[in-house]
Amino acid sequence: MIALALLRFLARTPWSTAMALIGMALGVTSIVSVHLVSASISSRLDGLVPGALASYSHYLHRDKLDTADYFSLRRLWRAGDFPVITQLSPLIDETTQLEGQSVRVLGADLLARPRSSINNAVAKPNGKNSAAQFSWNGVWVDESLKDQLSMPINGIIEAPKGTLLADIATAHDLLGWPANQLSYLGLVLRDPFASSIEIAEKLLPGFGAGFPSAKPNLALPPGWQLVNTAEQYPAREFGKSILFNISALGMLALLVAWLLIYQVAVSWLRRLWPVFDRLHVLGVEWQQLRTYFLFSIGLVASLAAVLGLVAGWWLAKWLLEMAVPGQQANLNLDSWVIFKALGSAVVVCLLGGTWAFHRSQQAVSDSSLPTITTLALLVAATGCIFQPQTGLAGGFFAIAVLSLAASQTIAPLLIQLKRWASMVRGSYLLRIGVREALWHPRELSVAIAGLSLAIATAIGVALMVDSFRVDFSRMLDHRLKYDLIAQGDTAALNKIAKTNESTTLADRVQVYSKTDIRVNGLSMELNVQRMDAFESTRYSYSTSLATNDMLVSEQAARALQLSVGDFLTVAGETMTISGLFSSFGDLKPRLVIDERSPLATSLAAELEIDSVAFKSDQTQALLVDLREKFPALEVRLQSDIRRVALKTFDQTFAITTVLITIALLVAAISVYIAVTTMRLNRKTGRQLLNTLGVNRIEQLMMNIALGAGLGLVAIIIALPLGIMFGWILCNVINPRAFGWTIELQLSAQGLLLSCSWGMLAAIAAGILQGGGREEGAFGER
Amino acid sequence: MTRASALSVKQISKHYQDGSRQINVISDLSFNVAAGESLSVMGPSGSGKSTLLNLLAGLLELDSGDITLALKDESFSYRTANERSRTMLRRQHIGYVYQFFNLVPTLTVLENVRLPARLNNRRDLERHASTLLGEFGLSDRLNDFPDRLSGGEQQRVAVARALLLKPPLLLADEPTGNLDAENSSHVADLLFSSCREQNISLVLATHSNEVAAMADTQLQLDRQSP
Repeated sequence: MIALALLRFLARTPWSTAMALIGMALGVTSIVSVHLVSASISSRLDGLVPGALASYSHYLHRDKLDTADYFSLRRLWRAGDFPVITQLSPLIDETTQLEGQSVRVLGADLLARPRSSINNAVAKPNGKNSAAQFSWNGVWVDESLKDQLSMPINGIIEAPKGTLLADIATAHDLLGWPANQLSYLGLVLRDPFASSIEIAEKLLPGFGAGFPSAKPNLALPPGWQLVNTAEQYPAREFGKSILFNISALGMLALLVAWLLIYQVAVSWLRRLWPVFDRLHVLGVEWQQLRTYFLFSIGLVASLAAVLGLVAGWWLAKWLLEMAVPGQQANLNLDSWVIFKALGSAVVVCLLGGTWAFHRSQQAVSDSSLPTITTLALLVAATGCIFQPQTGLAGGFFAIAVLSLAASQTIAPLLIQLKRWASMVRGSYLLRIGVREALWHPRELSVAIAGLSLAIATAIGVALMVDSFRVDFSRMLDHRLKYDLIAQGDTAALNKIAKTNESTTLADRVQVYSKTDIRVNGLSMELNVQRMDAFESTRYSYSTSLATNDMLVSEQAARALQLSVGDFLTVAGETMTISGLFSSFGDLKPRLVIDERSPLATSLAAELEIDSVAFKSDQTQALLVDLREKFPALEVRLQSDIRRVALKTFDQTFAITTVLITIALLVAAISVYIAVTTMRLNRKTGRQLLNTLGVNRIEQLMMNIALGAGLGLVAIIIALPLGIMFGWILCNVINPRAFGWTIELQLSAQGLLLSCSWGMLAAIAAGILQGGGREEGAFGER
Repeated sequence: MTRASALSVKQISKHYQDGSRQINVISDLSFNVAAGESLSVMGPSGSGKSTLLNLLAGLLELDSGDITLALKDESFSYRTANERSRTMLRRQHIGYVYQFFNLVPTLTVLENVRLPARLNNRRDLERHASTLLGEFGLSDRLNDFPDRLSGGEQQRVAVARALLLKPPLLLADEPTGNLDAENSSHVADLLFSSCREQNISLVLATHSNEVAAMADTQLQLDRQSP
């Protein structure tokens, strides 16, 4: 009978029930969509590393590595010198021209694995060549090469475009290398936290990238350099860092959603409490009432989880199509995401409900434990901010702790503001509205905390994006000093460089050459060009570059721990670091030298012309001329490049904007639910005002003032918190994730826009909760 | 000074619909209250006291009959007035005192009393609010919020607020029902004497025979049969 009464209660309050359902479903939607987007991007990033190399955790490099080096190290390993190593394999990894195609040849010791496992674990059979036609001299290729090569193909592998995997001996033959030459060694190191990180990665895709990747001290013989996967594959690491940022932002959305779900449970109980109180007086046990209560909110939470799963899938699909247009979104509603959705909705709701029930039954004593815990966490967070070794996770841990601390200040702030409420001036009706926002600290603090957090996140990200955009735009101003750039066909580029054709229309022609090199075991890009004063200004360096000087990107400086004035030896030549330059968007660390330097001369054979830039007063004529003379070249206006670059920049942050919007929406619903619950407290006051002749428009104004009051309280907390978030994102997260330093700009637009959205969300909640007009106060009859 | 305005209630009826059942709460009720006079309304629960006050306040619409309130230059007819006009009537010409929740919790004592003046843009009366509160012995509580006041003090603030505009009609619903004997007598004295002095028509619903006896006229309502 009690269950029936509860179900009737849900049915008789359809609007409130629907809002609770929608609120929780939206919370789950944000959780599911962030998870699916992250998982999809993560899977694409994993595809950047060929499957055959995916199992290695570290790599060992040395100059002129050969099999003798490998076997001598292997002997030491077998003798027990490196107990943390569980696997050690020789590898070949080199790009070459095969049958007119640029192919990355990977050579691995396939004999180390059973033959059947190669096809099962590494590859799927090619359509033309079944597993029965397996040949040790054959190769495995990615999808793009399957019809391009005449050699026997054993199967198709998951790998980046243009990748070929072969047995180590076959790779030697394909590359024309001597039989003892190797590229590097692959290692698997024992990691006690590997399984925990793997589970965390399943729950929060991209989270693994946030952990510091300290290198073990292996006491290797001289000449060996140990690099981890991040250093070996900077492009993948770059993507993983972006993913971690999205994932961490998603975690904030998760926190806001949890606050909302808890708020729903508390509001639900508040509405039911008078009924429970009467039933308890009639002899129903509290335990039984709690079971019925948890059953009713559990029912709503389960339904919300199902709705959220479906809506989250659609939202993720839309977000991916928006962020990466033209690519097929492969979204998998696996058991982890279902567990996460149900766990968030049902478990948070039930735990929140149980806690709220406990608090309603007995007054909870004021304990100093939460404050002491938060203070201890704040100390730890400060350590994480100033210790780069704590990695990205350290930065986001600091953000999470600040959020927690800010949430705890809401209730005391409301109590203090209530004391000062008589100082609120202006129209009496506005005073009533604003003061109502301060009158119920205990009931409203959770909802306001959610709103504060959402606004602070919006402010932090807006400040970071605005600051980033200013620096990015400044970098484009420096870099795009030319009017045209030609890229593509190497032969045509060489021809332009050697014959100086088209110079009649160009005031200046600049040839850019590059090569990939390893410096201290790290993969880097060496740029060689004429570095006169004009060219140097593109790298924020004021004079021409001397022949023994070098400019390095921020990423390279960070990776090699270099600063201006230091020396760096590359290929036997010692260079002086003359300056650092910003390099947003670079996948690899970069080194820039003058074309006349001894280092450029020593590497001349390996240099390849990457592009040619032109400065001209007759841009259009030069463009037409170049396209006519060199149809194979891709010639672009720098202004177009700038536009595309900024468009790509904005597209990159589109996902972030949507996620923040969802967080604000979820927070607004949370405030709405909290304020609706407060209507019972405010009902008599509103009835009195109605009797005194306050009309509908004035009541609406009071509701707007109430919403504005709530928004104002949220902004008081969110503003400093958001600025702190922005500072951490610019000065802690970005340098750790990408090696970029961004100068924090306190942009008025970023601050105002985020606060305005937060305020609008609160006002909307205030207006919506107003509902119908309160009737007279003289009672019914 | 005599006031020309007075309350006139002519053959009014009001019923509620409970599903298919019609409940007649007030049937064919008529009475007059002259300016400066008082009427006490008594009757058991469900007899229609609150409905009558809601009708006099213009919060409910009449089924039949009419109520007219004589104002300074005109006579206000409830029958023909729309909700907006009735709201303006309440705002400008009617004062109220209830049994509970008389004050807006988020306004201070002084703000509560000044509220009708602010709603009617009568800034000239704001100074009078402090004077009135002083006369009622509340000059030291002006900036307190209602939750810091005793029940008796709250009712005195409510009476001060109801009197601020010197309205032609003051409605009181069990104004002493929540008070002890001493405070009850104090608040009732304040109400009756102030209305009499200021020529205000007072309609007061009460269960107290003592309070009812202080009125010039008594009206007894009986429970209506369906």
